[in-house]
Amino acid sequence: MTEASQVLPAYSQPFLQNAIRELTSSGPLTEITPEWAWGGSTGQGVKVAIVDTGVDYDHPAVGGQVYGGVNIEWDESYKEKLRFEQVDRPSDLAGHGTACAGIIHQIAPQAQIFSVRVLGTNMGGRAYQFAAGVDWAVQNGMDVVNLSLSTAKNDYFAMFHAITDEAYFKNIMLVSAASNFDEPSFPSLYSSVFSVASHAGKDPFTYYYNPTPPVEFGAPGIDLRVAWKGGGYVISTGNSFAAPHIAGIVTLIRAKHRELTPFQIKSVLWACAANVRKEAPAS
Amino acid sequence: MVTPDGNTDHELAEELLQLVQSLAAAGHSILPQTPDTLLKSIVEAAARIFRAAAASIMLVDEAEGMLEFKVAYGASDRDLVGTRIPINQGIAGYVAMSGQPIAVSDVAQDTRFNQAFAKSTGYVPRSILATPLISGERVIGVMEVLDKIDAPSFGMQDMELLGIFARQAALAIDQSQSLDNLETALLAGLHRLAVSDPDHPSPHLQEILNKNMQGMGQNAMLKLADLLTEFGRMGDEERDVALKVLSAFAEYNQNRRRFSAGVMK
Repeated sequence: MTEASQVLPAYSQPFLQNAIRELTSSGPLTEITPEWAWGGSTGQGVKVAIVDTGVDYDHPAVGGQVYGGVNIEWDESYKEKLRFEQVDRPSDLAGHGTACAGIIHQIAPQAQIFSVRVLGTNMGGRAYQFAAGVDWAVQNGMDVVNLSLSTAKNDYFAMFHAITDEAYFKNIMLVSAASNFDEPSFPSLYSSVFSVASHAGKDPFTYYYNPTPPVEFGAPGIDLRVAWKGGGYVISTGNSFAAPHIAGIVTLIRAKHRELTPFQIKSVLWACAANVRKEAPAS
Repeated sequence: MVTPDGNTDHELAEELLQLVQSLAAAGHSILPQTPDTLLKSIVEAAARIFRAAAASIMLVDEAEGMLEFKVAYGASDRDLVGTRIPINQGIAGYVAMSGQPIAVSDVAQDTRFNQAFAKSTGYVPRSILATPLISGERVIGVMEVLDKIDAPSFGMQDMELLGIFARQAALAIDQSQSLDNLETALLAGLHRLAVSDPDHPSPHLQEILNKNMQGMGQNAMLKLADLLTEFGRMGDEERDVALKVLSAFAEYNQNRRRFSAGVMK
């Protein structure tokens, strides 16, 4: 079976080797290069929230860059049904959040990482915990937020739309993994977020722009060695791991160019994507 | 509006909402009665389709915060069925918590990764693909296929396919459960819930249950269950509207009875 005839997740389909479309950048946009965009940047001074299963603060893959965070639990005995617990030394329930944090740290080693734990045993309030986590990041001065999770339930469309728009207008970069299933999920399909699916490459700085959205960027997400719970590593696959690659690069750009807004950073990413060929400006 | 015993509409709506929410959880806790033959055929088919050495289905026990192995097929030297693991741990736990699939390989290289549990089963897998079983919006279980026979790991295409497969499996589990256990489960669940929470007593529903539900036929129960499930899936606003409609009907019904009984002449 050839690669083209394989059944692949819909959202990663545009990033198959032979499906990637070559695009052309022209005029002043050709002056935007990776060197200009993030050359020399380490992510210093940028706060990155990982909204996930938590982050193990002492995992070697995060290099001591975890500065705290919050655990958000669904608790019916509370008035708002959500319980917030600030944590100085966060931990990960499963390993997934640490995997995402490790990828971002690898790309932006001096970024400050914050763990926003929104997954837990109570699944009844999952979407509300998730939304509260994004909101916490927005209200607590985070610059970049990695969202390697989503909800497929239409009822939450408006709630997440409002939260992500608020983030967008506050210049907070939300980076959201597309669903691994062939189904719409939120907030990954909103234009206010950086939506990411997987390509099969391994170089952390090689990513592609998809000219036929909703999913705009393709980054490494297949068979990657990622940090896991308990100080170890596993090989894992999923769009969950593509998103933090883009989050890491966005962190670098943000650190170097503090003034850029989400749509400007998207334009920078577009100009530096591996499938965007630069034509020399006409003389 | 105040009902004859002094309860307001709002209180009745709250009471009903509380029960409906709890019912969704109770409904899933009756899954142990799901016919094992169905689940067995599902995991066997999954193992064959994905060329996996082993496969299993765990079902969520939300009240206990656990995942329980319901069926296991293939390479394991011990019967896993009945074994329970905390819902917030490990690969299966991540899948249950997030509702997203994940593929992991080289599991054995990580010294602390689920090793205690894996070793206790006598089987440490090399590669795992785990996907949620979803009914409506709720994760009712996790299906895993272990150790791809002809490759070091499961790929994105396996993930996509197992997702489609799991959707059908969850539907089958759900329907089988609905048809087999609907009446007893609903009655038992509603009765239990109506008396179980001292902070939210449900005198209305207890009374209604005692009077009206005993003689209900299977079809009526099925419709009611569908409605209740639908309630569970609604957003707050829609649910409020639905509850208002129900309350209005209840009021209409009470008034009608009063009319026919000659109370309100």
